Amino acid sequence: MLSINSISKSFDKGKNFALKDVSFQVKEGAVCAIVGESGSGKTTLIRLIAGLERPDAGSIVLRGKELSSVKKLVAPEKRKIGLVFQEYALFPHFDLLKNVSYGISNLKNKKQRALEMLDLVGLSGLEKRYPHQLSGGQQQRVALARALAPNPSLLILDEPFSNLDAMLRMQLRNQVFEIIKKTGVTAIFVTHDTQDALSVADEILILQNGKVIQKDQASNLYTKPNSVYVASLFGNTIQLNQELQTAFDCPLNADCCHAIRNESLSINKECEYVTHARVLKKTFMGNTTHLLLKLDNGHQISVVTQDDNVADHIKIGFNSTDVLEFAT
Amino acid sequence: MKPAGSNEVFSIKSRLRRLKRDTNRWSILTLAIVLFIALPVIAIAVKLLEGPGETWWHLVDNLLADYIGNSVFLIFGCSILVLIMGVGCAWLVARFEFPFRKQLEWLLILPLAIPSYIVAYAYAGVFDYGGSLNLILRFLDFEFIRIDIMNKFGLAFVLSISLFPYVYVSSRAFFLNQAGNLLEASTMLGVGEFKSFFKLMLPLARPAIVAGLVLVLMEVLNDYGAAQYFGVNTFTTGIFRAWFSLEEPETAVYLSALLISMVFALILFEKWQRRNMQVTGNKASRHIHRKVGAPLMQWFRFFLVLIPVLLGFLIPVAQLIYWAFLTAHKVFDLNFILLSLQSFGIALITAIVTVLFATLLIYFAKWSSVKGIKSISKLGILGYAIPGAVVAIGIMIPTLTFDKWFINIMDTVFGIETGFLINGTLVALVYAYSVRFLAVAYNPIESTALKVSDSIPDSSKMLGVGNFKTFFKIEFPLIKTGILSAIILVFIDVLKELPLTLILKPFHINTLAVKAFEYASDEMVMEAAIPSLFIIFTATIPVIFLNRLLIKE
Repeated sequence: MLSINSISKSFDKGKNFALKDVSFQVKEGAVCAIVGESGSGKTTLIRLIAGLERPDAGSIVLRGKELSSVKKLVAPEKRKIGLVFQEYALFPHFDLLKNVSYGISNLKNKKQRALEMLDLVGLSGLEKRYPHQLSGGQQQRVALARALAPNPSLLILDEPFSNLDAMLRMQLRNQVFEIIKKTGVTAIFVTHDTQDALSVADEILILQNGKVIQKDQASNLYTKPNSVYVASLFGNTIQLNQELQTAFDCPLNADCCHAIRNESLSINKECEYVTHARVLKKTFMGNTTHLLLKLDNGHQISVVTQDDNVADHIKIGFNSTDVLEFAT
Repeated sequence: MKPAGSNEVFSIKSRLRRLKRDTNRWSILTLAIVLFIALPVIAIAVKLLEGPGETWWHLVDNLLADYIGNSVFLIFGCSILVLIMGVGCAWLVARFEFPFRKQLEWLLILPLAIPSYIVAYAYAGVFDYGGSLNLILRFLDFEFIRIDIMNKFGLAFVLSISLFPYVYVSSRAFFLNQAGNLLEASTMLGVGEFKSFFKLMLPLARPAIVAGLVLVLMEVLNDYGAAQYFGVNTFTTGIFRAWFSLEEPETAVYLSALLISMVFALILFEKWQRRNMQVTGNKASRHIHRKVGAPLMQWFRFFLVLIPVLLGFLIPVAQLIYWAFLTAHKVFDLNFILLSLQSFGIALITAIVTVLFATLLIYFAKWSSVKGIKSISKLGILGYAIPGAVVAIGIMIPTLTFDKWFINIMDTVFGIETGFLINGTLVALVYAYSVRFLAVAYNPIESTALKVSDSIPDSSKMLGVGNFKTFFKIEFPLIKTGILSAIILVFIDVLKELPLTLILKPFHINTLAVKAFEYASDEMVMEAAIPSLFIIFTATIPVIFLNRLLIKE
């Protein structure tokens, strides 16, 4: 188990904190996604776990061994953590076999193990190639094979798919996590893409401005986000402020904050709360259409619909079960 | 666990605790190297406290005004000349197309291959009463002319034509890499050629130009050979006189301290003039589209650019080759070959030692996790700013003390009589060269090391491999060209170095530079030609080779 205890890190002597009092745990064999915008501190967090940065407060413990604290630091090379860098960082002057076998300490079956790992990632036969002769997706898999080869206690992937185009991304995402599941290694990966996180992670940790906002199972984060911010990360949401509540005639608990997901709004259907709206503007987006609506009370909202043939005057509504409620 | 507040995390106590955690052996080794390099300056500072020597006040009354006056004259005179030649040529080759432009572009760098003192000897021969100029004039049936260049005006001329390439290189790099887009924008706005240059290009290029100029002025203040030969009193000649003729180290130390202050004033000036200039960054601009112009103008530009090449390289080399033919039978013998080998050997050893120090300094600082250590490590390269004569004296003082202490210990404790361990040996000489030329090795190594992304060595560490093994297996193969360039550059600089070598060289060892200096001082300047040409050719070949290497990269 990996446990992060009250970790803080500042790069400017305490004026701003890249991470402030972050604590969480990852169970053995689980895949945990760390999601946040750029600047949220997610890269700093994994660099701290890897030992490439030093914490200003708190401690990091892996399988009962303290790796970082304010008194003690285990050097990165002694942590047995595999790290796949965003830009892969393959050694340009080594062929694939040398790249993958580099970290294997057991001298006897070094070559055999490296070939097995290349086979695992589907690159057998390419061991004599050099990194620059590979495509981006292939380099990604070599980096994964190289990190897994020494049999690490923990695998970290930094923005693993950000350098790939959309099509390749989906394909590789599934491949990579099949491999990770097969090896049974505990894995953490950093992403700003919630699709990545939802599709492969067991648990998701949301970071904002260096603080943990929510950590939960993927499905729970979608249905029970604890803030408007988390809700908006997993799809467009509309905040139900006082004006909108009046428009839809749905008085909600005034002590809480409410929002509704865009996809929960239905057009011209029977719902608990309904109002009339005029379509100001339609923007065709391929498989969806964006509508800019003006409600009866003059309030404007935008809605996404699959129907590209809506009339100029519509009925719009939602049900109480779809309302998301957060404490303020 | 209680949450850590920012005050508590950054209290002095927790900072100290983290400093203790983060201080590793690399931090200490980095400090040790910096201290080792800074020792000469510290020694001079400590020696200052002992007070000036007997002749100091006499010197202040009679000579100091001369030293300061001449140095200030040289600073201004050389600045004007190198700015005109350096910036002018850089602009002409960057902006215009003309015959032989490509060849001239690199020929303009070659004056750097000739040490200033050798240019001085050559020009003494050119302008001498019976010298080459008058031989040619007589041949063409013209009147004799008498031009005396053995004075401060001549010295300013000689130093400028041998040093202007520093300004040429830095401003050309700016014009080629940064100026294209801006110049096109300026032309599109309907601004003429002259106005674009003076109102736009010159102010933008100023930081680059001044950086080159400061290097030139450091070399001007460092010069000993040319000033001594032309009989101009400068700080360096003063230091030599105090050290060798008056045998007053205290006075030499006081002059050194004044000279160092002048150099640091120059460095501060350079930093100050850059204060508001935003660094344009590495974003390469489009190359300037070169103007062709009418044929007459093309040839006019060709001749303009040819003048500095002629003055700075072709004429002195021609003069030296002429002398070499006259004196070959006297100078070129087995002893001379041995002398050359000695000279190359010392330069090679020094190059390797210096590159080793520079590499260790760069990587130790990188491996140290304390932030302040990285800034401190930069102090290690300030040796380049300190004139060779001053470095030499700064090394003499502590090593003499050490040697005396060592002889004493060996004698009293073990009853063994020993000689000097460091002074007057190669150790002191190589140490001094390393102090002075560390920056020469540091810059190319650092710039190639910066091209290797941090994630590459970091990956190696994450795979369980330590710092040293990572360096040899991963980083070294990737920065080989930087290391090779560094070795070549230090090798050339050591070969050309004069004042430091004169003070510290072991008695029985000689170098080409010292030999040339000795001939010239003994009224045998013609005989100085062969050792000089040896230096020039060995310096020229690597410059061309290095140029190729960098183009290939």
